[in-house]
Amino acid sequence: MRYLALFKAQLKMRYIYLKRYYFDTLSMIITMFLVFLIIFYGAMALLGGATPTNSGDTLEGIVVGFMVWTFALVAYANLSWGMIEEAQQGTLEQLYMSPLGFGWVNIFRVAANFIVNALMVIVVLLLMMATTGKWLNLDVPSLIPLILLTVAGAYGIGFFMGGLALVFKRVQSALQVLQFVLVIFIAAPLGWLPFMKFLPLSLGTRLIGMVMIEERSLLQLPPGDVLFLIGNSAFYFGLGFLIFKLFENVARDRGLLGHY
Amino acid sequence: METVLQVKDLTKHFRQGRGEAVKAVDRVSFSVHKNEVVGLLGPNGAGKTTTIKCIAGLIKPTSGEIWLDGVEALRHPKKAMERVAALLEGNRNIYWRLTPRENLEFFAGLQGHTVGKVRGYIDELIELFDLKEKHRTPARKLSRGMQQKLALACALVRQTEVLLLDEPTLGLDVETSYELRHVLKQMAARGERTILLSSHDMHVVQDICERVIIINDGRVVVDDRVTNLMKLFQVSAYRFELEGPLGEEQELRLKELFPLLEVSATDHRTYIDADLKDGTQLYEVLEILKDGSAQIKSIGHKEPNLEEIFLTIVKGQLR
Repeated sequence: MRYLALFKAQLKMRYIYLKRYYFDTLSMIITMFLVFLIIFYGAMALLGGATPTNSGDTLEGIVVGFMVWTFALVAYANLSWGMIEEAQQGTLEQLYMSPLGFGWVNIFRVAANFIVNALMVIVVLLLMMATTGKWLNLDVPSLIPLILLTVAGAYGIGFFMGGLALVFKRVQSALQVLQFVLVIFIAAPLGWLPFMKFLPLSLGTRLIGMVMIEERSLLQLPPGDVLFLIGNSAFYFGLGFLIFKLFENVARDRGLLGHY
Repeated sequence: METVLQVKDLTKHFRQGRGEAVKAVDRVSFSVHKNEVVGLLGPNGAGKTTTIKCIAGLIKPTSGEIWLDGVEALRHPKKAMERVAALLEGNRNIYWRLTPRENLEFFAGLQGHTVGKVRGYIDELIELFDLKEKHRTPARKLSRGMQQKLALACALVRQTEVLLLDEPTLGLDVETSYELRHVLKQMAARGERTILLSSHDMHVVQDICERVIIINDGRVVVDDRVTNLMKLFQVSAYRFELEGPLGEEQELRLKELFPLLEVSATDHRTYIDADLKDGTQLYEVLEILKDGSAQIKSIGHKEPNLEEIFLTIVKGQLR
């Protein structure tokens, strides 16, 4: 019950932000959509309708890649920039004092963020599909676990950078650079450079593409790849979280939690 | 009396770069009883905030123990956090984009309380802190005083046994500071919480606290009830104003009695400043003055306040 109360509190806050600051929400969706249009039609003009991407070697691949990037970006920003914001407004120490533990506070923060994020991505995705006329396979039961697994890698990176921000404070420029590194992970050409599946986000994006473009279900995906994705995501999420805990300990030792 | 907060030999060293460690807190020990309101005083950099943050689990002590209602906080931090909430200095402590009610609900949830269970208490807090009119306004649009009251309410809504308040009136204007003091006094009077409060503002401490702990240079230098402290320092300063000069013999007799007595004179007046312990000493002085030719014009008396006591102690420490 206590954990449910904590989760509900986090979810409600995200929902209030989304609704009260609907202009922010709206402009975020529109910006995302515009960026997508530029990339999509740019690619089409350059390559005459065939781009060598990670998933499917088609323009559909751009839709999928862009969707994953949106998910990953919000996931990453929520933890990295979010941690800085909490430290600045002096609520980080209050979060830290939860008897349920800072770990759970953050896990539920991630969960609440994922749900609200999904609502926004669905809107962007529908807009993308409607304008491009590329209607993709929306096999929800297959997509939810795949997206969760894929984005877990981005949360791992978010935790890592959030931890860094707690101790070193001035990490804004690194945070910005990493946002674009996420694009490299997502657009990694796995067909050409298969070892890139060791990176976060790469293999997940490809598998999501298989479901959405090639219309396969989760069970029809190569089991080896699915297992690899589980291991990959667990590794990056776990590592990010562990390093975050490490930095958090350093911050607590040096009395840095409240400073910004 | 039941002890709910006990600090034993708390020590915190901060390492500064590669240089030697700075002792922020040095073997600090004290305990606070259930429903007691204790003030933590000390000059800037004495270690008040570090002590409070160690109790709140926000800073890891170098050594020592912290017991919260029978739980060793360093070994069982989660259990300890069920017992303590804090309003921290220099921070806003609240979400600026949420309304007072939304803030209160969030912090209740953070503590693991379901909204249904605390709804009544939240209504009560909104009433007590006079936030009713503004309960739909985002916190960033509230006045500084209102924000601080909301932050205090958010610490209260966690319903913990112990409440830590670090400089709760800092940065508030006179009026809102007074208002917050009033609320704190009400809370203290209700005797529902155990409060450890640090403040620069002696009025706050004198108003609300039953006991004060004074720390200086990371160490506890005084731990006593406010009333005892006032009594101890009842070295009331008296000033005698005389018409005409003081006789030589009288001055000698006075100085024999009170070595620290000071005599100063202008053209027609003589002033005698003396610290008298009690009323009988006053009569002894009058007895001596009676024999002289000078006439007593007035006798002034000043009660000490906590601020002077504090300054005396801290200055004594520095010497």
